Order: sequence, then C-alpha cells, then structure tokens
Amino acid sequence: MKKVLLMLLVIVASITLFSCGDKESERTEITFWHMSPVGDVSYSSVKQLITDFNDSQELYFVKGVGFSFWDYWDKINVAVASSTAPSIGLSTIDDVVSRAESGVIYNISDLMAADTSGVNTLDLSEFRQSQMDFATYEDDLYAMPFSATTRALFYNLDMFEEMGLTEADVPTTWSELQTIAKMFDVQEEDGTITRIGFDPTYGDTTYHGWLWQAGLDFFDEDLNPTLNTPEHLEVLNWILDFNEDFTRTQLTAFGEANAMLGVNPFTSERVAMIVSNDGLYQTINTSGADINYGVAAIPVPDEDGIHVCWGSGFSLEMYDNGDNTDAEVAGAYEFYKYLLSESVQLKLGESLGWLMSHISAMETYVEGDPILETLLGEVDYAMDKVYVPYAPAWHASDWQTYYTQIMDGDLTPEAGLLAARNHYLQKQENYNTLNE
Amino acid sequence: MKKQTIGSLKQLRKKENRMGYLFASPWLIGIIVLGAFPILASFYISFTSYDMSSAPQWVGLKNYIILFTNDDVFWKSLWNTIYHVVIAIPLGLIVGIILALLLNNKIKGMSIYRTLFYLPCVVSIVAMSLLWMWLFQPQFGIINEVLSPIYNLFNMEPILWLQSSSTSKITLILMGLWTAGGSMVIYLAQMQDIPTSLYESAEVDGANWIQKTFRITLPLMTPSIFFNFIMGIIGGFQVFTIAYIMTNGGPAQSTYYYAYYMFDKMMSDQAMGMASAMAWILLVIVLIVTMFALRLNNKVVYLGEEG
Repeated sequence: MKKVLLMLLVIVASITLFSCGDKESERTEITFWHMSPVGDVSYSSVKQLITDFNDSQELYFVKGVGFSFWDYWDKINVAVASSTAPSIGLSTIDDVVSRAESGVIYNISDLMAADTSGVNTLDLSEFRQSQMDFATYEDDLYAMPFSATTRALFYNLDMFEEMGLTEADVPTTWSELQTIAKMFDVQEEDGTITRIGFDPTYGDTTYHGWLWQAGLDFFDEDLNPTLNTPEHLEVLNWILDFNEDFTRTQLTAFGEANAMLGVNPFTSERVAMIVSNDGLYQTINTSGADINYGVAAIPVPDEDGIHVCWGSGFSLEMYDNGDNTDAEVAGAYEFYKYLLSESVQLKLGESLGWLMSHISAMETYVEGDPILETLLGEVDYAMDKVYVPYAPAWHASDWQTYYTQIMDGDLTPEAGLLAARNHYLQKQENYNTLNE
Repeated sequence: MKKQTIGSLKQLRKKENRMGYLFASPWLIGIIVLGAFPILASFYISFTSYDMSSAPQWVGLKNYIILFTNDDVFWKSLWNTIYHVVIAIPLGLIVGIILALLLNNKIKGMSIYRTLFYLPCVVSIVAMSLLWMWLFQPQFGIINEVLSPIYNLFNMEPILWLQSSSTSKITLILMGLWTAGGSMVIYLAQMQDIPTSLYESAEVDGANWIQKTFRITLPLMTPSIFFNFIMGIIGGFQVFTIAYIMTNGGPAQSTYYYAYYMFDKMMSDQAMGMASAMAWILLVIVLIVTMFALRLNNKVVYLGEEG
C-alpha cells in the first residue's frame, strides 16, 4: 500500500514540476476554436495569425484549436451546453439571438463601450448592417459577422459559345433561364441524362431562395407558417415544371450520379448553369478545372422579381462559461478585435478562401478578379434566413421531407404545402406548450 | 490467541478489500460517471424543456404527452423502426442459418469461405455504406447494370433503390444481410457441438439431409438462434448509422428511424428534454419486446433433456 501511495506521489509531483517554468503559462490563456484543423491547407496561415498575436502580447496567450467543418458544430454545441466553451469561437449568425437570450455569449456592445484603450477598436461602419442585425438582441450586439457568403449564377462560357451564345445572353429572368437552359439538354437513347442546362433544385438553390425573389416567405412576421398560398404554389410549380421534358426519376438519377462521382456538376461540365455559393470559386481553383466561366446575379421572376439571394456567414462570439476571469474576458476581447481588424480579415480571406465580413479588406481582396468582384457585389443582396425557435432546422430536415415528396410525385404540390404547413403548426404548438 | 487470529484475519480481509476497491476504482468510477450519471441525468432531463444553452425548465410529463399525442414524426419514425425490426431480424436469422448450414461441410478450403463470409463484419460501417451506395446507384451502379436486361424486357425504369421512398427501407435491410456472417459464426460454433452420434443414428434410420437438418441440427441450434434473435431485436430498435450515412433519413422520411429522430430532436431542434424522453420510451419498448421474446425461451428453445 505504501509503495502504491509513494508511486502516486511521485507521478503527481512530476506532473507538477514539468508544468512549471513555461513562459506561456505566466500569461492568461485564451482559447480560440476555428475550422482549420491540422492537415488543412489553411492550418499554417491561421496558426501564423495566432502566433503573430501571441508575439505581440505580454499579458495574453491564445491557444488555437481547429476542427473540421463537419465536426465543429457538435463540439461547439456540446461545449456551450456544458459550460466548457472556448473563449472565442465561430457559430452561425442567424441564431445569435438564441444564444444571447440564454446568456451564453458576451454582450459585445458592452465590451466596446468599456474599451477605452483606443487601440484597434471595432469600426462598425466596416461591417454590413444586414449581418449585424442578426447579431443584435435587445438593441445590443452579441456577436460580430466574421465571414459573409452569397449565392450567384455560375455559367459556363465555353458551353455558351458552343450554342452560339455570349455573355450578353446570360439569363436575368426565370423565363429566359428556362429558354436558354433547354438548349443544353442532352440525353442518351436509354434515357440517361448526360447534360442539362439548369435545374432549380441543383447546386445551392433552395425553395425559400426562389420564394424570396418572388416577394414571398415561409413565415410571417410573427413566425407563423404561411407557405400554402396560391403564390407559393406558383413558385413550387415553376420549380417542378422547369425540366418537364425529363421524368423526376431521370433527374434524380442524374443528380445522384453527380454526388456519387464526387464531382461538381458545373466543374465537370454536366450542367451549363448552376446556382452556387462563393465556395464554388475556390472549388474550381483548387480542382484545377480548365473552364471558362462567369458569374451573375440569380435570375428573378419576370414580373416584380426581387434581386435577393440566401447568404449567411459565420459569427464571431465570445462565450461566457460563468467562471471567466476579468483577465480572460479582456484578453479574449483583444484577440476578438484582432480577428476583425482589416489586415487580419484580408489575410484570413486569402488563406481560408472565404469572403470575410470586413468590407474594405474584401474590396482589396477581390480587386482585379472579376469573378470575385461580382461575388462580393452579390453579398450586398444577400439575406439570411430567419431563426425560428420552434423549428431551428425549418429550411432543412423539416422542409426537405415534403419537398422531396412533392418532387418525387408522392404528394401533389397543394397537398405537400398543406402538409408542410401543418407540420410547422404542430411544432409551433408543441414548442408553445413546453415554453408557456 | 484465538481472538488475535480472528482480529488479524479481519484486518487482512479489510486490507484485501481496500486493495480490491483501489484496483477496481477506474472501472467503478467509469461506470458511475460515464454510465449511471448520464442515465439518471437523462431521466431527469426527460421531464424538462432543455435547449442545451439555458437551464432546464421542469415541465413534468409534457414531453411524453406531446410525443404520444401530437407528434406525427414520432409515430412515423417508430413505424419505420418496427418495419425494420420485423423484416430485418427474421431475414437476418434465416440468411445466417443458411450460410452456417452451407459452411458446415468438410470440403477443401472451408476456412477460407468462412473467413470470406465473416469479413464484412470487420469492415467499417462507413466504408460498407459507401460501397453499397455505389452498388445501388441507379444510373451506373452494378446492381442496376446487372438488372438492365430485365428493365429493357419489361420496358420499365430502373429501380431507384435508396432514392425512392417505396424501396429505400427494404434496400437498407437487404444491405444489412451482407453482415449475416457475424451470426453465422455463432451458429457454426453450436453446430460443431452437436454430437455426430445423433447424425449417425439418423443415417442408420435412413434419414436424408433435410430430415437431419430439421430434426437434429435446427432444434439443437435453437439456443444460439434465440440469442441472435434477442440481440437482433435490441440492435434493430437502435438502427441509425446506415440511414444517417446513406439516406439522411430520406427520401420522404422513409428511412427516418426512431434513433435518427431522437438525434435530430437533440441536434437540430435543440430539444434535449424531448430527446431524453424518446430515449426512455425506446428503453421501455425494447424491454417489453425483449420480455415477450424471453417468454418464448421455454417453448421454442431446446434446453436439454429433462431428468
């Protein structure tokens, strides 16, 4: 027994001694979770930015931890729930309000007001109000936009040329889109589609995105579902009938083949036009695809169409675990400002390949690149989806069930929209029952 | 002298107990912290409204009442799961038994065949799912390639397998049969235990292969069949991974199993209280089904000759 206790004592003493004498441990440690894990192409750049900050600090030391995009969300959700969240992390900007309401993130307006250093202060005029509105709760900012995304129409100029078309023929309305798209459709004798011009369900298109262009939405101002009006039905029928020359089986098989082959249908020239987010620009660059293409605003309805697209972005948040010291909060805020400064935002844009939220930094970043310039221009027309407490995934799993059944012909558009509305109403009722 | 001996024995026993607890402590701490605590915590949370960022709010039985009375997806996911259990488990048993019967022969290279059939069980479920997604791919998957003459003959469109709500559930069940080699090993082990004298006696009586199989082999295999049946039921109700990887619960929620809905309740809807209630309902369902299944034990399982 004595020997066992002695051994335990030696182990504890060794651990204690080894952890002493580190210069970094004398500084207040700040943790930052990001999406550039070891092995990622952007890992070195992000690490260098953190190192640069640490080298400039005497009081604070930032420890960066990178997770892949797919792992990140579970990690951060669990960490926030268990009060073990990092000092600073990324999240989705559309639901900042829910975290602000729960008190798990710091009030950035308060931190800005208390910041009298005058050094590297946050310049709110460099960030889009449309994004900051989503990060505002009871008139205070609880997060800042970190990046910005947008969606646009990517068109293949080589394929346009093959059909005798030029950039002047790039569609701007839904009817033009349908007319031009049909020119590119090719199918084999056995019915296998080998190429299509466009499909309103491919790429990063969403039903709510098309609705917004027609001045419609899923919910009213009080977040009641309003999605089975004749106008909604009209948009849904337009999507459904866009490629009426093909059966849904053909289109599903074609789309599935693209997914299984692991190829982007646009870069592999299986579609002539596609709606995608700005990430496609990076995909084309990194894949080395040799295609001549352009980018334009997504075509809008012929009458009273609204130039709008679904765009979002990551928010930069400071997490309150309930036991953060003043030094930790002060240090985290220093690093927070550093991450949102113009020079760092520019470097982040270059290394991550994302459009960042800092307006001036991004104007410098896109200069001389017409594709990026257009994409950045489209950010100004980007609108984020509303956060619905009773159905946070209203646009995803909730809606997709009905959307798929309508597309597959298992439900008529009328029945599908009614069923979807009833589903949201049921969720709303249950949520209210639990939270009354 | 006698008292001293008893006292020192007690001390020795205490010392031994202390050391025993010390060495078992990692396991004991593990089961309390990682096992008992989460189970009890989930039971408490099931009576709360908890979004994982605010403090849980006590709501009594509301989560359970909502699930049973006003949640269509709950019933749909439960139906999908029961469908899976009712078809996949018996089918898996039959395929496993057939494989075991086929591989219970003394022919050259039998160990290689047995290994080959068991091999899918050691393949990562993610890799296996991706492989079968390729095989079932409607446009260029090998299964539709093989079936294409039939499609042409009857002038029909290719089956969409995982992409159609009418075929997705059965496609996942068919895919699951690929791992029947796991139960096959258990059946084989029991088959090898059957005394050869029984077969010899049957042969003397003129029994053929079918008679020997149904009168000797299968009755004596019932303990292992029953074991696989019970384990299959428990595992079947927890089906999740294949749907998560291959179909995302779709199309049209046709493969949206109970465990998947529970996962979404927690991660997508941020309704940890509701998800915990679902976990406890599942536990009760599995307990009830297993209890009924265990009642069959005395009726269908051969437990040896009495007396």
